[in-house]
Amino acid sequence: MTESIVSVLRALIFIVIALALCGLIFSVAGYSAPDMFRAIIDGAFLRTGALQQALRWGLPLFITAAGVVISFRAGYFNIGAQGQFYIGAICAAFAADWLNGLPAFIVIPACFLAGMTGGALWAMWPGILRLRSGADEVITTLMGNFLAVIVLIYVTSGPLKDPSGSGQQASSRPLDAAYRISTSYGVSPTIIAIAILVGVLLWLLVNRTAFGVLSGLAGRNATMVTWQGARLWNIGLASFIISGALAGLAGTVELMGPNGRLASGFLPAHGFTAILIALVANLSIVGTAIVALFFGGLASAALYLPVIAGLPSSAIDITNAAIALFITAKSNIVDRFLRNWRKRGWTT
Amino acid sequence: MSEEKQIVLECRDVSVRYGDVVALSGVSISFARGRIHAVVGQNGAGKTTFARAISGLVSPDTGEIRIDGRALPSGNVNQARQAGVELVHQSFALPPSFTVAEAMQFGAADGRIYSRRGLERRWQTYLDSLNVKVKAGQRIRDLPVETLQSVEIARALVSDARLLILDEPTAVLSPEGAQKLFERIRHLKDVGVTVIVILHKIREVLAIADTVAVLRGGLLVEGPVECSGIDAEKLAELIIGPAARPLEEDQKAALTGSLDTAHAHLAQSVDRATVEPVLKLSAVSTRHDSDGPPLEDIDLVIRPGEILGLAGVEGNGQRTLVRAISALAETSEGKITIEGLDVTRASLQTRRAAGLRVIPFERNVEGLSLTSALWENWSARELLQRPLLSMVRPSELRQRCGTALDAWEVHYSNVTQRAGSLSGGNAQKVILSREMDEQARLIIAAQPTRGLDIGATAFVWDSLNRARARGCAILLISSDLDEIMDICDRVVVMLSGRVVGTFTPPYDLADIGAAMTGVSK
Repeated sequence: MTESIVSVLRALIFIVIALALCGLIFSVAGYSAPDMFRAIIDGAFLRTGALQQALRWGLPLFITAAGVVISFRAGYFNIGAQGQFYIGAICAAFAADWLNGLPAFIVIPACFLAGMTGGALWAMWPGILRLRSGADEVITTLMGNFLAVIVLIYVTSGPLKDPSGSGQQASSRPLDAAYRISTSYGVSPTIIAIAILVGVLLWLLVNRTAFGVLSGLAGRNATMVTWQGARLWNIGLASFIISGALAGLAGTVELMGPNGRLASGFLPAHGFTAILIALVANLSIVGTAIVALFFGGLASAALYLPVIAGLPSSAIDITNAAIALFITAKSNIVDRFLRNWRKRGWTT
Repeated sequence: MSEEKQIVLECRDVSVRYGDVVALSGVSISFARGRIHAVVGQNGAGKTTFARAISGLVSPDTGEIRIDGRALPSGNVNQARQAGVELVHQSFALPPSFTVAEAMQFGAADGRIYSRRGLERRWQTYLDSLNVKVKAGQRIRDLPVETLQSVEIARALVSDARLLILDEPTAVLSPEGAQKLFERIRHLKDVGVTVIVILHKIREVLAIADTVAVLRGGLLVEGPVECSGIDAEKLAELIIGPAARPLEEDQKAALTGSLDTAHAHLAQSVDRATVEPVLKLSAVSTRHDSDGPPLEDIDLVIRPGEILGLAGVEGNGQRTLVRAISALAETSEGKITIEGLDVTRASLQTRRAAGLRVIPFERNVEGLSLTSALWENWSARELLQRPLLSMVRPSELRQRCGTALDAWEVHYSNVTQRAGSLSGGNAQKVILSREMDEQARLIIAAQPTRGLDIGATAFVWDSLNRARARGCAILLISSDLDEIMDICDRVVVMLSGRVVGTFTPPYDLADIGAAMTGVSK
């Protein structure tokens, strides 16, 4: 228990340091740092409808990030969430296109199935390459991201192109309203239910199954579980498939919910933010849910800043990047501070 | 006489604390010049900390260290080196990609520029002068461990060291390697170097040292006393302390190296030939891989209630044999049966279900995940016997793990602590508690006592004996011939992937040694 409290504290300290750095950058750039932070906090959490907006951005991020947790915990650095997210959305869009006209209770599940399968397959080939021949999954999944972007451009300007589109951004025809699971506003009971279902199932998978314990061990020491009789092929491939399927699910949610159509290059940072969330949450499912809502708030502030406050939305990118930098650097200084802090027993 | 009594290094009331842990407490000791001093103790007794403190790597919290009568500024390794103190670490610190000459130069950079050939010539001469048989152009990573250690020692002597500290130098060596090392140490003594050597095997202490000092729980409990005035039994008691449980007679004999009293239990060896074997290897061969020579035509039988010893110079196929039995190396020809069940093509999971248990060679890599919790490490074997998606209750696993670890006398504070926070002996006990359960039928114990202090070693032997009494078949792989000869009912010797000899008690060290080195009898 103390272990997890310390890890949450550590994350918080990093975020504070990161924000201090952001403040410095804002000041140097000629903005008032306090104003900027006020605007960000306001945009993210305080203004009316902020919670809904945080949910709108945070829930799909949570779904993808939960998948990232599964592969990272097992020791496979699947950084291809973005590509798997795109391929999932593309497969769902094809399914919707082919089944267009059929009743919603057939089309919607079919789209989800297609999206999750697409994402899973897009994570599976790097998984097979890794487990069969040791090809570094960081390289292959990263390549997969670029390929997925190109496929998305092709699909939106070719097979699924909306002929009446503006031409500014290639996109598919809008989905029939009957097939949407939320309005463009972005939150609906369906999406919330999906996210809760994902959260509960994954929490059980990680914390209450043999797979959860064994994949955690495999992630820290694959040799040891091999000597215990584990087949990395099973645990590893399952991890790739689950993480890809969840990214694909998030892509489907974005397509059939807020977006309503497949647009070339939509949400280009989704997968990477999800990885960041998983890391900040220290690969815990509960942590991922909380951090995802926090980053969801920041994402909604990115839209709010230029419109309402007249400030550049890249302030959010800077904040994200600074947090990422500090979290992943895992500074020894903060660790040492926390260790002393724990030893001196200031905990009450 | 006065020359001999001269003090080279003196500690006055030295204490070192790591956080809450007191590693050394109030140690006052002095060492005479030109002799070989042993410092012994169990794991965690403070030996390595002591070595680091006197070489300036660790600064004492209290007390002072005087070299040649001059106080060493606390924790100043450069000052210590200038005073002629050099430490050879327990685990080697040479960069693997360097050549020997580069590594030597790295320690002794004199600001001059050499050509590659010039550098190699310079150090070749030096190494030859120390009788270290190595080519200066060889890469560090290509050297066998004995040579590596010789190079480390040679490097420590570059700067004209007058006090050489060796931290557990024999831990990585074969018995022959240790003999060579001892010759080297005696040679150093002859040329006037004072040597302080940290050890944990009593017979090694008595074989090499002039004086011995004993650390226990960070305290100096004895010494330095002349080795001529102390016997192995007394030393064992000092090291273990009064709290230890009484050792079995044959274990004590093995620890102290007196073999005559051992084998008492072997007299009652039953006629096992009629009993169905637990493990049977028939003409097993493997393909070549990176782990040493492939197996060629191995025939091996272990019956219930039998400890089969596998002796051999390291790197002669022992690892491959263990991996072949564990389904981690493919059997290209031949047949493996466990409890009569043909498992030649079966996975390790299936073999474990049939009763196979493995205590692997590398405790910290193959045996435990150091950054994972104790309960996770402990329950891995059992969880792998279930479907991956079966539900588990961690609270129940933690509780059962705690009960098991208590029964195995593991010293731990919480089953959620990381396995890496345990000492070597305790870590090994965690592995034993996992691999020596009631359902175990065949236990492969690969170097189960390597690097353990004598208390933990005795514990491991005791556990193996108890498993044998229960009717388990045990394969003990060890490079410690004394260990093998003490507790095994039968010994086979491997050389270049083949079984080249089978021995039964009473063992003849010379015969086994000849088989190990391939000298025909």
